[in-house]
Amino acid sequence: MLLPASLRWISSIGFWGLSAGVIYQYTMYCQEVNTFPGGSPLLITIILLPALGALALTFISDENKQLQKVVALNVSLITFLLSLTLWIYFDSSVSDFQFVYHANWLNSANIHLTLGIDGISLFFVILSALLIPICILTGWSSIQIYLREYLIALLMLETCMMAVFCLLDVLLFYIFFESVLIPMFIIIGVWGSRQRKIRAAYQLFLYTLLGSVLMLLAILMIYYQTGTTDLQVLLTTEFSESRQMLYWLAFFASFAVKVPMVPVHLWLPEAHVEAPTAGSVILAGILLKLGTYGFLRFSIPLFPEATLYFTPLVYTMSVVAIIYTSLTTVRQVDLKKIIAYSSVAHMNLVNLGMFSLNAQGVEGSLLLMLGHGLVSPALFLCIGALYDRHKTRLVRYYGGLVHTMPVFAAVFLFFTMGNIGLPGTSNFVGEFLVLAGCYQTNSIVGALATTGMILAAAYALWLYNRVVFGMPKPEYINSFSDLNRRELAMFLPLIICTLWMGIYPEVFLNEMHASVASLIQHGSFR
Amino acid sequence: MDFLSLFENDFLGIIPESFIAFAACLLLVYGVNVPEHPSNTLVVNVGWLTILTLCTTILLLVTGPVHEMVFFYNCLRIDSFSLFLQVIILLSVISVILLSLDYLVREGIHSFEYMVLILLSSCSMLLMVASYDLIGIYLTIEFQSLAFYVIAASKQDSEFSTEAGLKYFVLGAFASGILLFGCTMIYGFTGLTNLEDLAKLLTGIASMPVVSSSGLLVGIIFLCVGFMFKLTAAPFHMWAPDVYQGAPTSVTAFFAICPKLAILGLFAKILLFTFYDLLNSWQSILLLCSLASMCVGAFGALGQNDIKRLLAYSSIGHIGYLLIGLACGTVDGLQSMLVYMVIYMTMSLTTFGVVLSIRTKNGKSIKNIQDLSGLATSNPALAITLSLTMFSMAGIPPLAGFMSKFYLFFAALSASLYPLAVVGVLTSVVSSFYYIRFIKIMYFDKSEQTLQFESLDASKAWVIATTMAVTVFLAAYPAPIFLMTEKLALGFCI
Repeated sequence: MLLPASLRWISSIGFWGLSAGVIYQYTMYCQEVNTFPGGSPLLITIILLPALGALALTFISDENKQLQKVVALNVSLITFLLSLTLWIYFDSSVSDFQFVYHANWLNSANIHLTLGIDGISLFFVILSALLIPICILTGWSSIQIYLREYLIALLMLETCMMAVFCLLDVLLFYIFFESVLIPMFIIIGVWGSRQRKIRAAYQLFLYTLLGSVLMLLAILMIYYQTGTTDLQVLLTTEFSESRQMLYWLAFFASFAVKVPMVPVHLWLPEAHVEAPTAGSVILAGILLKLGTYGFLRFSIPLFPEATLYFTPLVYTMSVVAIIYTSLTTVRQVDLKKIIAYSSVAHMNLVNLGMFSLNAQGVEGSLLLMLGHGLVSPALFLCIGALYDRHKTRLVRYYGGLVHTMPVFAAVFLFFTMGNIGLPGTSNFVGEFLVLAGCYQTNSIVGALATTGMILAAAYALWLYNRVVFGMPKPEYINSFSDLNRRELAMFLPLIICTLWMGIYPEVFLNEMHASVASLIQHGSFR
Repeated sequence: MDFLSLFENDFLGIIPESFIAFAACLLLVYGVNVPEHPSNTLVVNVGWLTILTLCTTILLLVTGPVHEMVFFYNCLRIDSFSLFLQVIILLSVISVILLSLDYLVREGIHSFEYMVLILLSSCSMLLMVASYDLIGIYLTIEFQSLAFYVIAASKQDSEFSTEAGLKYFVLGAFASGILLFGCTMIYGFTGLTNLEDLAKLLTGIASMPVVSSSGLLVGIIFLCVGFMFKLTAAPFHMWAPDVYQGAPTSVTAFFAICPKLAILGLFAKILLFTFYDLLNSWQSILLLCSLASMCVGAFGALGQNDIKRLLAYSSIGHIGYLLIGLACGTVDGLQSMLVYMVIYMTMSLTTFGVVLSIRTKNGKSIKNIQDLSGLATSNPALAITLSLTMFSMAGIPPLAGFMSKFYLFFAALSASLYPLAVVGVLTSVVSSFYYIRFIKIMYFDKSEQTLQFESLDASKAWVIATTMAVTVFLAAYPAPIFLMTEKLALGFCI
């Protein structure tokens, strides 16, 4: 980068103007569905773009690290812009899958690549696209070894995650659901911070794999029984009650590990603590949502009777998880573990909302997933910023940060409040709707779940108190650098979205109404 | 001309085999008569000529005059199934030779007979998949095994190699004896040795009360056990880790890939064509062997540090998966087995290619899995290749290994063999533990030692690149292989 600063600004403005124009033209072109044999190619473009970026990275020479970072960042930003156009062209008045793309994949076995999104998956695609540029930015200066591999892993992860949310074929869903493991395993194992990372990577890998192979068997049984794996066809199929139970449990084994629900949640704190900041952001922001998304997309509409039968099980496990993990959080000394356990509590609240099986509950759970996808990554970014400076994550070494890092203290406070669910932040709306939905179905569960909110305030405030307030500990803290501009730039979109969702959630809810209503009607839950 | 009329056009059918046999004789004469060269590259020269021969054979097979025929008085049969197997066997032999040329020179295996023996054994494998008669089957298996016993002991100055050769010989001969006893029983109780005649005799036998079929059953059991020995399926696998470890790595690569394809193809032909009506009796044997192989493969490899032993256990596990397809006895089962064979072949070729191309600092070939540490920095391309192959071997989507496994499990479920599918997925989780150990050692561990890495020779690089490309391509678009194998499986059943 030898250009003078002014020229660099002009050229980057020109670049973004040009790409915005190209994106606009391309999406306009994609809207003419009739001209394409497989339907609108917009989704497949969005999914493949990061993979192409990863491919391009392999051709950049090893020395040119700056160019590698710039290419990866620009590719992910363009993907994000493209994913926003999905929202622009999304028709919120229908519950059908939109932007459907269909391609032949395994013709002889009748398995096809079908992509499409509805109100449930729309925002997850956008959230994935939003978080990846942030992840690339967090590693901007802290990743020293294998930089190219790091960027490739992140971009491949983006492709896999967005494919999971778009695929309308159960087997292909499984394939991408699992393939997330490969880049995640490598991200934790290679760029993780301590030697314990290997154990964490193994735990992530084996827990998730063990859970999901049972789902594979269930998918294959469904495929054998119906001869298809197309979700839209399967939604019209009715399975016998005993089969539904079996399939539901097999899917549950997989999703419960990913959510995570209490007996199988142990991989999560480990993986979070050992992962690099970007890994934690992805884990908390997207990967935890794969389980709950799976429940909503597959378990609930495909096996409605089994869902009703097993609802008490989910309630019990979720309530236990909420109270247990909230209490566990209080005794942790590792900053990341505290946030990780609070993620477990939040995701189990999501479960409660989903299985309350009414419109408020489901929409609340969707909103809470999104809110948690903004707040929890932001908290992990905060801790990443601390770790980059002081190379420790133990609470007892910190204190009085407000004196040395005032901007950080403000940002951290904002997101701590978001995590508690302060009115005006995104989590409040989600939690409120979830609890409202819960009280309608089962008031005892609702009451028990509400204690989770009190406990959340307890641990979050105590954590904030210990880290930021009090006297500084000069014997431990020696550098006095506040957040820099790059770090602030990462937090800014998250702050804006958190506030936006908290103050005017109707924008998001509006897109979900039709899909959620049809989901509930489909299972004739109400 | 009188002689030719005896067999009419039969010789047209064995043009490829006769070409190989002829070429082997020529190469033998060439190798013996060429004067001793100071640089000792005779084995490489003969190796390249062998590759040329095998490529020509593939051409002869594909463009040959007959594609569907039974000849030599029902002794051989050529159809699209055998043709497919022959082509992939030859491709794997060519790849293994390409991988091992450099290795042979470095390890000081200078005897050119090595190549001639490989040529002869590939001739026997071609005949094996085409054979249509119990006698022919036994003869071709013996022909192939005999060549292998010699190759296993080809490094005469190494104790391990000699010991491996001996073990392989003793157990291989024992297995052949059991196989032969099985054939004898079958012949004794039916009076037939031809596969088609046997199939005709046994049609509908399952539904009628047959008085004296117990001898036939004993024969089939012995036949199966003999084949299991040759395939290193679990209760009969004891020799495999030792032989794999002791034999030179190039030979191990050869053992692990080529004969398995041939023997499995032949086994499928015998079971699904001839003894199909006795499905109930042999299915349980296969079921047990498959379960045992999957478990032994998964748990046995956990504690291994020697790469070749580990790969031996891994191949035992993969045989277990392949036997799932055979145990189903359905079109889907056969198809999934064929898909798995092709993908297993490409994955193993990549693995052995990488293992053959890495040497420690003092120029020795690597023994322990820990020797791989530091590969990620010394040669990132090779490290990524090995990692992806290991993920694929473990069956992690979206790689090719998953494509082959999911269809196997589907076939098992559709044939109501639930225990196989459940144990299959669970052992694949267990086995993923040792496959990702490779990745852990290469990427996560701090490397104390640096590997000496000399740039790959072109032949090895091409093989690794091609097999890797196939693995990645099949992951993204598996339709071609599924379409091809589906046609084969359907054609086989008609």
